[in-house]
Amino acid sequence: MNISSIILRRHNHIKNTKLVGRLFYTAVEEKIEIPKRIPRGPTDILRALESTLQRDPTAAHYKYHDDPYLMPKSNTSKRTYAMAEESGRKAAHWVRSENPELFNHKECDPAIDLFFPKQVYDENSEVTEKDLKDVIGKNQVSDAIVINKILTTKGIEVSPETKQSLLELLCYNNSEDTLDEEYIEERWFKQSSRLRERQRKTWKDGNIAEEIFISIDNPTADAYSAIIQGMAKYFQVDRANQLYEEALQKGFVLNADAYNSLIRVANFFKEGYDLRWAYINNILLSMNQAEVKPNLRTLNALLWALSTMGNSKNIKDLTLKTLRQFKDLGIEPCLGSWYYVLITFCKERGPKSNILGNILTQIEGKEFSIQDLADTNFFVTAMDVAKNHLNNIVLGKRVHNLLLKGNNYNLIGDSYKESVYYRHYFGLVLMNTSIDEFMEQFYYKMVPNIYVPEPAVMEDVLKQVEALGATEYLPKLWSDIVIFDQNLREKLINIVLNIMVDNPAKESSELAERFFNIAWDIYTTISEQNLEKINRLSFTGDMLGSIMTVILRYGDFEKACTIMNDLSKSHTTILGVPKFDALSLFVDHCIKNKSPTRAIVCIQYAADSGFPEAVSLGAKLNQHLTLDEIHLNKLSNIIDLKLQ
Amino acid sequence: MNVLIKNIYNPFKTQCQIVRNLHVSPIYLKTQAGRYRITPKKDFPLTYEMANPPHMIASRKAWNSWNTSNVQGGLRSSETAVEDHFIRKFMIGTWHGLFVSEIIIKRQHNIIRIAGLISRTASSRKMYFLIGYTEELLSIWLQCPVKLELQTVADKKDVIFKYI
Repeated sequence: MNISSIILRRHNHIKNTKLVGRLFYTAVEEKIEIPKRIPRGPTDILRALESTLQRDPTAAHYKYHDDPYLMPKSNTSKRTYAMAEESGRKAAHWVRSENPELFNHKECDPAIDLFFPKQVYDENSEVTEKDLKDVIGKNQVSDAIVINKILTTKGIEVSPETKQSLLELLCYNNSEDTLDEEYIEERWFKQSSRLRERQRKTWKDGNIAEEIFISIDNPTADAYSAIIQGMAKYFQVDRANQLYEEALQKGFVLNADAYNSLIRVANFFKEGYDLRWAYINNILLSMNQAEVKPNLRTLNALLWALSTMGNSKNIKDLTLKTLRQFKDLGIEPCLGSWYYVLITFCKERGPKSNILGNILTQIEGKEFSIQDLADTNFFVTAMDVAKNHLNNIVLGKRVHNLLLKGNNYNLIGDSYKESVYYRHYFGLVLMNTSIDEFMEQFYYKMVPNIYVPEPAVMEDVLKQVEALGATEYLPKLWSDIVIFDQNLREKLINIVLNIMVDNPAKESSELAERFFNIAWDIYTTISEQNLEKINRLSFTGDMLGSIMTVILRYGDFEKACTIMNDLSKSHTTILGVPKFDALSLFVDHCIKNKSPTRAIVCIQYAADSGFPEAVSLGAKLNQHLTLDEIHLNKLSNIIDLKLQ
Repeated sequence: MNVLIKNIYNPFKTQCQIVRNLHVSPIYLKTQAGRYRITPKKDFPLTYEMANPPHMIASRKAWNSWNTSNVQGGLRSSETAVEDHFIRKFMIGTWHGLFVSEIIIKRQHNIIRIAGLISRTASSRKMYFLIGYTEELLSIWLQCPVKLELQTVADKKDVIFKYI
């Protein structure tokens, strides 16, 4: 503004000119608005930079070392490498815990607790209530138990607040230590979700949490809430209910989460759906009377209970009603809630429901953070519904876009869920797009760094290649099968061989050579297996016949002969027989190479295997080659050569 | 020099004698550090790093330790030197017989990155164990994040630049 006014004064003589005047006037009128300061955290810049990065599908996950030798290529190596690194970390922690006196130097400033050896508590340690508070804050269950024991034996009184938080810690963890938060790989590969789904009583009766609860003279409502939640979480449902009744009789107001935990285990109390719903309504009513405001976890508990109540239309209506009512209360459902809705509406044997599309329009383009453990089930279930329930690729792609949005990928769960998710996504795309699009847009992009197809998925891909005759992808697929350690799976080998036999490559083309290489590769891997291996894959006659056919088509007669030798030598041990076409082709090539001895071996084998057409083979041989006395004798021994 | 200083600080002696010692023979300016002697059979393998003498640092080769503790106002210069030596010893001992290059230590802010070339004589699973172990133990010891940046070479001969 200042500069423009100075210029205006200096160029006063041209000020009258309309154009210039207008130009400067607009500049004068322009107002600079200084935006309000946005308070930033110390890592905000890093986060902003990070948000510009996308997962690079051409590189392995960043937890692996960026080196060709150290990059994992199959599912097993992904798992072993990550777990090996973690066990190395554990070894380092072990070294420190064995020699804690060596690690007491202080380099870092300010001091960071994690770098120092862990405090070990035993019966003789000098402890105060502050120590107890510290270990509770750090979620160290066994240490908390030890300290509490020392405090009680020494007769040191602990404040009621600390006692309450100790009780909550023990109830939450079932008085057991949990896996250290630092060991992320172990958590990622543990498949804990599958264990958690099995609902059985794991609460340890008479454990320290109960002891502490009893030792409290006049347990408060909070103490009741904590122990009820703990028991319900580990399925000690009867006692939980008993304590709940007790608390009601005493006129306590429990917290919302205690009510939620009881709703969650309603299916243990009441068998019939109507009874169960009545029971839940009772709990809700007493919540209402106690003026406890329900929260998101109440919604999720209700939706979960509804999802266990069968398939009737009434249940679906109730689900929608619940969602509406909570929305009126100002509680937005999280991904976990949508997961429960999905499993309520899209049952395996139920009618089809398009609710996934409606859900997606609600949540598309949003970023989520975890609010409920069930959140991690959403994506895998949504993809399952998109594939198996609706078989709708548009929905599948929408789900995938949502997953890639922001930090939503954190909600994929663990390695098991991730691979199930991609299994469904791959299957969905494979069934609904052309094989070219599938390979270009999905397979080349995601395999092997993001996803390694399991043998079953690989089988589907091969079947699709077989159905469409897209043989140009076969070499790539076979090399992947080898890398992923699936090259000794009989099903996959059979499909690959069938594709090659049914779709002969043009002679002396590059593809023919590749087919030959694949066939010979199959032959060598099977025959070079370790003899002591338990589940050895053995040749079948059909397999050898197919391999021989492909090799003969490429024109390598010598290698075909070794296979023929194998066939005739281990006639009794090899299961099944090759197709007659393969044998006939072999005889043709013997004629071409003027090698009657080998042809006779083949005819002998054909006759032994009980092919009635062996006679015609002999005739063909006799017709095309002039056989000497010995050969003729042999031939007539095998078959009845009256055709001469 | 010593004598001079002594004399200055000894006021009684200063008056009677001032001695200055002079070298009269020419200085033999032979520098030996960081250089390798030629062997009679000329079969001693050198990596690129070894083949270049120290005065080539910054022109043909770079430093093995990267940090700012020796610039003006730099912190912890002696500690850094000792720690770097400790890290090198630790790496050589832990990755026994695997390193085929010098160990490069790079410090940025509070992070230490350790780089180098290793041969593929151990299985990749074992290497991952060692990576996890080294990173964790060194971070516990040095109390800052430590990261390894390793590259593997298929053959030890790949890193040999020349024989002398």
